[in-house]
Amino acid sequence: MTDYNFIGKRIPRVDGLAKATGKATYTVDVKLPGMLYGKILRSPYPHARLLKIDTTAAQQLPGVRAVITGEDVRQVRYAFVDTPRYPADEQPLAVDKVRYIGDEVAAVAAESEAIAEKALSLIKVEYEILPPVFHPEEAMQEGAPVIHDEQFEGTSFWEEWGVTEQKKAVKQNSAVNNLSGHTLISFGDIEQAFRESDYCREDRFELKATAHCQMEPHAAVASYDPLAGKLHVWLSTMGIFLKRYFLSRALNMPASKIRVHHTFVGGAFGGKIDLFPYEFCAAYLSMKTGRPVKIELDREEVFMTTRQRHPIIVKIKTGVKKDGTILAQDIKVIADNGGYRGSGPVVIFLCHGFSFPVYNVPNYRYEGFSIYTNNGIRGPQRGHGAPQIRFAIDSQLDLIARDLGLDLLEIMRKNVRKKGDVLPNGDQLNSCGLTECLLGAAEAINWQKKRKQFRTMENAGRYRRGVGISLCSMFSGAMYYPFASAAVVKLHDDGSATLFTGAQDIGQGSYTTLSQILAEELGIGIEDVHVVAGDTELCPIDLGSFLSCTALVTGNAVKKAAADAKRQLLESAAELLGVEDLTRLKAQQKTIFLEDNPEKTLSFSQAIQASVLKRNGNPIIGHGSYKGYPRAERYPSLAKGKGLFTGAYGFAAQAAEVEVDTFTGKVKLLKVVTFHDCGYPLNKTIVEGQIHGCTSMGAGQALSEEVYLEKGQLFNPSFLSYRLPISLDTPESIEGIVATIEPSGPFGAKEVGEGCVAGILGAIANAVHDAVGVRIYSLPITPEKVLRALGRI
Amino acid sequence: MRLLEFDYFEAENLEDAVAHLKKYNGSCQIIAGGTDLLTALKQRLYTPACLVSLDNIPSLKNIKEENGAIFIGAMCTLEDIINSELVAKKLPALKQAAWEVGSPLLRSLATIGGNICLNTRCRFYNQSSFWRSSREKCFKAGGSICHVTNKQESCVATFSADMPPVLIAYGASVRLIGPKGTRLLPLRQFYTDNGRFPNEILTGSGEILTEIEIPTPSSQTNSTYCKFRLRNSIDFPLLGIAVLLILDKGKFCKDARIIITGAGSAPIEAVEAREKLLQQELEPQLIDAAAQIAASEIHPMRSSFVSPRYKREIAGVVLAEALEKAGGIRE
Amino acid sequence: MKKKIRLIVNGEEKVLTIDVQQTLLEVLREDLGLTGTKKGCNQGECGACTVLLEGKPVSSCSLLAVKADGKAVTTIEGLAKGGQLHPIQQAFNEKGAIQCGFCSPGMILVTKSLLEQNPNPTTAEIKEAIAGNICRCTGYVQIIEAIRSLVP
Repeated sequence: MTDYNFIGKRIPRVDGLAKATGKATYTVDVKLPGMLYGKILRSPYPHARLLKIDTTAAQQLPGVRAVITGEDVRQVRYAFVDTPRYPADEQPLAVDKVRYIGDEVAAVAAESEAIAEKALSLIKVEYEILPPVFHPEEAMQEGAPVIHDEQFEGTSFWEEWGVTEQKKAVKQNSAVNNLSGHTLISFGDIEQAFRESDYCREDRFELKATAHCQMEPHAAVASYDPLAGKLHVWLSTMGIFLKRYFLSRALNMPASKIRVHHTFVGGAFGGKIDLFPYEFCAAYLSMKTGRPVKIELDREEVFMTTRQRHPIIVKIKTGVKKDGTILAQDIKVIADNGGYRGSGPVVIFLCHGFSFPVYNVPNYRYEGFSIYTNNGIRGPQRGHGAPQIRFAIDSQLDLIARDLGLDLLEIMRKNVRKKGDVLPNGDQLNSCGLTECLLGAAEAINWQKKRKQFRTMENAGRYRRGVGISLCSMFSGAMYYPFASAAVVKLHDDGSATLFTGAQDIGQGSYTTLSQILAEELGIGIEDVHVVAGDTELCPIDLGSFLSCTALVTGNAVKKAAADAKRQLLESAAELLGVEDLTRLKAQQKTIFLEDNPEKTLSFSQAIQASVLKRNGNPIIGHGSYKGYPRAERYPSLAKGKGLFTGAYGFAAQAAEVEVDTFTGKVKLLKVVTFHDCGYPLNKTIVEGQIHGCTSMGAGQALSEEVYLEKGQLFNPSFLSYRLPISLDTPESIEGIVATIEPSGPFGAKEVGEGCVAGILGAIANAVHDAVGVRIYSLPITPEKVLRALGRI
Repeated sequence: MRLLEFDYFEAENLEDAVAHLKKYNGSCQIIAGGTDLLTALKQRLYTPACLVSLDNIPSLKNIKEENGAIFIGAMCTLEDIINSELVAKKLPALKQAAWEVGSPLLRSLATIGGNICLNTRCRFYNQSSFWRSSREKCFKAGGSICHVTNKQESCVATFSADMPPVLIAYGASVRLIGPKGTRLLPLRQFYTDNGRFPNEILTGSGEILTEIEIPTPSSQTNSTYCKFRLRNSIDFPLLGIAVLLILDKGKFCKDARIIITGAGSAPIEAVEAREKLLQQELEPQLIDAAAQIAASEIHPMRSSFVSPRYKREIAGVVLAEALEKAGGIRE
Repeated sequence: MKKKIRLIVNGEEKVLTIDVQQTLLEVLREDLGLTGTKKGCNQGECGACTVLLEGKPVSSCSLLAVKADGKAVTTIEGLAKGGQLHPIQQAFNEKGAIQCGFCSPGMILVTKSLLEQNPNPTTAEIKEAIAGNICRCTGYVQIIEAIRSLVP
């Protein structure tokens, strides 16, 4: 590996001390003079028509400054997906109907939280209860209650940006009721391939909704300045430019009239991308009252009304040759996106997109349906489709291996894609360490030995052990609004630099890794980098911290900006040193020297000062930008999967060793192994931290996490009853970093922090099967399911 | 969710506290540690006009042994119990149960008195006022229906406290003070087996629990508490079983107590399982037989997230474990 | 109902008149501006609001402020002295124990209390000590490593 000064090093987080001392300001900590407190009235019914809302008593309550209902914002529509095919279907406050328990009905701004809460209780709402539907397969049937019957048009940001290639509104598939999205992708000839297969197997897998559990609850502060006509907002968000775009459309204001201010983000995991009604309401209420308004959700509201991971049903038929070579795969996915579309059409596309880079399946048919039900809304969550589909595919592959008496490891090895492969959509795998990851993980879990050992009588008592393995992949950015990330590097006359980036550090450490890139490229110390981030007014555009784009896309932008600044610096230095050929100059530790005469040096300060004095005040500001996916024109078609997806895929192999208590059904995760091809680790401590976070979240969702719903009602909206992992659940953890050096990545880096939430589910499910000889087809693998499968209850 | 307004009264002595409770006529509650109460208040399960604090009554914080009995003040925190040498030595199962309550952050606030008075819990009841507004008011919340059973005028909320089964196994009594004076009540009689009003105080007696009195166990006493929960912290017991064995020569079972929490609306004594053990040598076959009997003695309801069938299965497993532990057969 | 209380916050005496229904968390964050103490769930289930009360870690959302009257409260703001970071803060930052940072104040305070009571904890004891503090980012691995690094 190349010897870098900062890249690949365990540099402590640049924002760590602010966080360790309690000085870091999160949105929930923002308090402005004269600030009002907002609260939202929500529907207690899963499906009902709004007949009448009477806010008179609430308006008259002393201390109440504004009360708004759907009537005030009738025309406003927005959504995570807004295209001619899938027009935005969300409104900040319900106008005609409510479609899930928690749907927003009215909002109040008052002098205190207590008054606002009291005001909510004074609003009288008359509902006409409508028949609800909660299961997607029932909702798809003819005659099921129709959840969305309104007609409206959608426009994509593509059209706003002049890309009009997309055809006008496509008629929805009317054969399926409550359809919110449909994806159909195929290549090869699956019928023929199934006939040629030596063995075929069909299975059905199911995963429940899960919660993000960001420790910081969702919150927004909005402050409207009527004189300037400018709206200032503080949001707990993953992408400031996307939020500003959503807000500007919803409020019908020019984007430049909205400023998103920086705050630290107390965890996001995909759940803080969408524009939420509470954010819109905070802004609207501030504009209406002329006072700052803060709305902070209760933990229960976060669970019920922000977003959840899609519960998904996966049906797969796979055909293989005797030796385990996969010939054909027919996959059908049904995602329940709840009362509104959320990211339904996206997740059914991504179930394909995040998975098909793993195995080379020559004949393939994939069909996805996203379906409206009267459950809570589902949106992106770390991996966004990858955990669900990877669990299903690798669970089935393990079953096939067992049926054929083959070693799963060998089957995987035979079928994984390799560097140089071109995917059916045209994406190129210019780096791919799947095989190395697989072999590394297998060795670390001691695969061959343990598989054998666990088949002996020693493993027949009450506690039984097993090992399992699974693979996963993930994009490194994609073409999504605002389609690119840019960075500005401003040099100071003391030789240090300020990085301006629109990227948000949501805990993944991007301020640190971006600082490392800057420091390495420019030749200054980490302590010389100052970060100004997360402010739409100060910072250039950025894709935001999702689709795993920060390391590769924003990283490249920062690297280019640093290179640009360095070029200017060297030009100034060259003049001073009387050198014409810039390549003779090197910059390190804030010093410029002649490579062939290292004695001749110049400090950065001297070069910067000279630039100002001798080049008509040029202070040296570097610019850089990088497109979400340089080869791609636009976002791929969600419906057909056509077009390019991402510039680089991250890969991982994950293995697990479990111990199953066959008396209680409890599964104890003893050891997890992740071998991750992240291109090149910009910061090993951060890469490992991302892996730990992913595996912990994945393990929780494999074993205990479930948003427990009955008739659309969420029974466990708290950390007490939504059982995410705690310290005592922490297994032994082994991480291996496979450095494949992605050619398009900054210093070879690509995705980390998202994909490896996905492999751990299949690894655990396969390990449980290995331990006790039964397959659990639905997650989470609760103790009760294990005992049922074992026939003990 | 913030707390609604209430009055707050710091009693200087028990008589004051009792008088204050009486003055508010049912709309006044004692606050001990407050960890459970504050959540209930935020969920608007109760809306008292006044809370009475016992923080200024030091006598409620004592742990002492006198005349063959151990006395524990109701305001002792669970951490006090864990750190007490007396408890560790004489009532090891109580220390263990205290150690397994809630999480470390709550154990330094929560009190033994509060744990004994803990209300029953149900997945339909322990929810916010907004959550509960989706459904008809349940019986426990003052309505007429039980959402678990769909029956009128019934409540099957589950008793889920960890300390009481152990205390009952040790033969503890509780001292209550009220408008009619002081009384000493065997702890098992403190509970009503009524999901809605599970103990004497919650039935509205206007009393205050002041002290727990436990006969000092004999040297032949072996005791343990086994808690089964889905997550090993920040969780109530799905099932908890306290076992107390009086063993002769370390093996012969002269007496036994098996008390189960999490399986009904009150702590349940497994009477038949006990019978099975009496006057027998404790050995694996006997333990398995007793465990099976105990599983049939409970009738859990679907007030939590697991099925009654699963709970019954677990009851046998947990009891076998507890008997093995108490009998010194396993660590 | 209002009540006057006296708190010793990070060694400094604070006399305040508060509403009796205010939790200690609300008083710290709203009346004293000490926003380093976080509200994660507001019902004692996540540990983000952990402070030390007379040296012991408690969930400040589950404690009425009036019950802390006369007592010493340590918040995360009270750890670094004179611009000098506490060794626990240093270790957390160096070992990657901080990601989004929302659980960090609570985790760090629990660690302080643990190491004061038991300077030489085992890994199992470390896990037990932080079992009331939820972290979604780190999977606890680097937090446990950071605490272990402080054990001689």
